[in-house]
Amino acid sequence: MERRSFLKGFGAAAACAIAIPQVVSAADEKKNGGPNEMSYETAVSAITGGKALVASAKVKMEAPEIAENGAVVPVKITVDSPMSEKDYVKAIHVLASKNGNVRCANIYLTPANGEAYFGTRIKLGGTQDVVAIAEMSDGTFLSTKQNVKVTIGGCG
Amino acid sequence: MAEMKTLIKIKPKDYKAGDIVKIDFMAMHPMETGMRKNKDTGELIPANYIDEVKFSFNDKLITKMVIWESLSVNPLMSISFKVPGAGTLKVVAKDNKGQSVESTTQITPKG
Repeated sequence: MERRSFLKGFGAAAACAIAIPQVVSAADEKKNGGPNEMSYETAVSAITGGKALVASAKVKMEAPEIAENGAVVPVKITVDSPMSEKDYVKAIHVLASKNGNVRCANIYLTPANGEAYFGTRIKLGGTQDVVAIAEMSDGTFLSTKQNVKVTIGGCG
Repeated sequence: MAEMKTLIKIKPKDYKAGDIVKIDFMAMHPMETGMRKNKDTGELIPANYIDEVKFSFNDKLITKMVIWESLSVNPLMSISFKVPGAGTLKVVAKDNKGQSVESTTQITPKG
């Protein structure tokens, strides 16, 4: 094979490899006995389906700046929304960007909630950003994040 | 594992129809990540965590949660709920080993 055509072919193959988007199938979502692992990028693309994430002040997160104990970090998320039949928050996703499995919770809301709110306590393996993604009924994805400094990790 | 104990709290205690209240749901669950080792044997403790929680009011689904092991031990989940009137609030929690628990509480608005 000539060098030129070989390089051409190689380049095309590489382009193909990049062009195939990372598809997260239902099988990946299935949980087994071992520890789940999912990177931040994979989790975000699974949530948004490749749509852009827009940082927005509509999504508010209440989390401590410094958490002494990473095993119990209180997080509260509210999203500005009328929660009417036409305009509501479909889901709130909570991600811990540097945990082995970044996914913490997907909360699927309905207009019956009256207010888009979710509060919980999460484990953080170390200092990292906690990210909240709000999936709105118009198909857009709004997000916010907050850095939480962890003195003692919660995955021991 | 013994049966999962749960607790549902409505805040505030007194509310009227049309008010937005907070529902706190707590479950007694170890939320094992699958990464911890048994200190005596050195074996990994298998992952065991609540993976689905459904809130419904008079059998109509209001909120569904898919959660993972990153929630703290004895997890707390809190949501808002606009009280439409009297009725039964039901919360069904299920873990990755198939154990599930159903808990209910009565919604009784005053006035």
